[in-house]
Amino acid sequence: MSVCTGCSLLCEDIEVELKNGAITQTKNLCRKGQAHFQSLSTERTSPIVDGEQASMEEAFSRAAKILEESKRPLLYGWSSSSSEAQRVGVDLARRLGATLYGTPSSQGLLLERVLAGRLPTCTLDDVRNLADLSLFWGSDPSNSHPRLLSRFAYYPRGEKRQKSYEEERTCVVVDVRKSATATLCQHLIRLPPRGDTEFISALAAVLEGKIPRTGDKKRMIELGTLLRKTEFGAIFCGDGLVCSLKEEADLFQSLIEQLNNIAPFRVLPMVGHYNSRGFNQLLLEQTGFLNRVSFQEGQAQHSQEQSIMEAARSCDAALVIGSDPLSSLPFSVARALAKVPLIAIDPRRSLTTDAARVVIPSAMYGLEAGGSALRMDGVKVEFQLIVESNLMPDAEILKRIGEAV
Amino acid sequence: MVELKIVTFRDIFQYEAQRKGRYSEEYKKLSAQIMLDNEDLEKLGIKEGGRVVVKNGNGSVVVAARLSDDEPHPGLAFMIESPWSNQLVGDPAEKTCIPELKNFSAEVEPTEEPVTEIGELLAMMKA
Repeated sequence: MSVCTGCSLLCEDIEVELKNGAITQTKNLCRKGQAHFQSLSTERTSPIVDGEQASMEEAFSRAAKILEESKRPLLYGWSSSSSEAQRVGVDLARRLGATLYGTPSSQGLLLERVLAGRLPTCTLDDVRNLADLSLFWGSDPSNSHPRLLSRFAYYPRGEKRQKSYEEERTCVVVDVRKSATATLCQHLIRLPPRGDTEFISALAAVLEGKIPRTGDKKRMIELGTLLRKTEFGAIFCGDGLVCSLKEEADLFQSLIEQLNNIAPFRVLPMVGHYNSRGFNQLLLEQTGFLNRVSFQEGQAQHSQEQSIMEAARSCDAALVIGSDPLSSLPFSVARALAKVPLIAIDPRRSLTTDAARVVIPSAMYGLEAGGSALRMDGVKVEFQLIVESNLMPDAEILKRIGEAV
Repeated sequence: MVELKIVTFRDIFQYEAQRKGRYSEEYKKLSAQIMLDNEDLEKLGIKEGGRVVVKNGNGSVVVAARLSDDEPHPGLAFMIESPWSNQLVGDPAEKTCIPELKNFSAEVEPTEEPVTEIGELLAMMKA
């Protein structure tokens, strides 16, 4: 069995057939995983220095030179690297006095509270074994974590859930649109954009037995009844919720406290990239902070206000690893990053590698390199390489750059 | 011209197209589109598949207008998260550092211009 690093579910039941060292057949991959596996053979990078093909050695020494000359380097990405590579990355950032920035997943807002024990959480195995209610709040796993419902949240039988899903599990979607997940679930509560805080207040009122002041009163009362009957609830929080909550995370937390007076209700932040949780936990363990930290003054420092915009504007060089910020960040941030000397470490071509001064090709973790990562619920998953390749994994590349600096 | 509120979302088919080729026609087709309510399509005087320029203080892109399969939601439009939609997203909020991906406003207008190419987006970033 192999592991798929296509998303943070890290599915461990992937069957792979090989012929002459190449993958000929796979089983159990979802559409996303299939696309991830097939991307082994599309748009791969090669070493480039200043627009010209180069050797790996040349790429390492140019990268080292850029970092040496930089006064305020930014090391960005990390959520698609193994935990081992992340560790090397934190050491490198410390040595360089760099700012270390994870892909700015909005999930940090809730993950911080989960890791601090302020929001109760559980593993996905607990969800499979115990949950009779799953609530997908601003999240659409059918598109982002495609096998969440079939492996854990809805369809499988679990220790306390031996009957079929129609009888024993209920799924609720709270979203601004009828997502693909919503078409599978029994209940959809549709909210206006940024309507989540109002929804929380209405739900809190219903749980206290009051009539909600806003929203569809009948549906809210139905939802309240459903929640009161729940034995074990799992709340899968997506970017839709977090982007809407912003500074109102306390409000969400008090709703969760209120729900836990009824039954265990557990919060699972839906981090996207396969080792986003790993990076955040490592950073927390090593520095006491999540998502981003600056070693510029020697000691790890974390500023609440330091947005990625600030980091992009204030750096004078950036090393981007396993991420494509030029595609995924707001234009103004992408633009600021495109202006500084970029070192891109990536198995695959992207807007960022196309704008980079140095491109260093890397092995795809889970396919061409082994290692470990933390699943979205914090469970450690180890993976082996499936196909041999000459490419170096991130951990090795970072060591080589570190040696050259 | 209509002023719309835009919410972005993720789509597995677009992700698949991106893994096959970020510069492919398929990825462009699945990314460079905006899902509108029929009422808004009518206000714009265009048919499904017609091109529109979507712009705000952050940027501007030409994309194809599609009839939403999730009507009715007049005044609200959906875009799949991509370099095209990111063109329209403002700076992340200072306190929480969360980019405003899920809720921004833009003006939408019919246009004869071709759909913005990904290469043009990259060129704008580097300019």
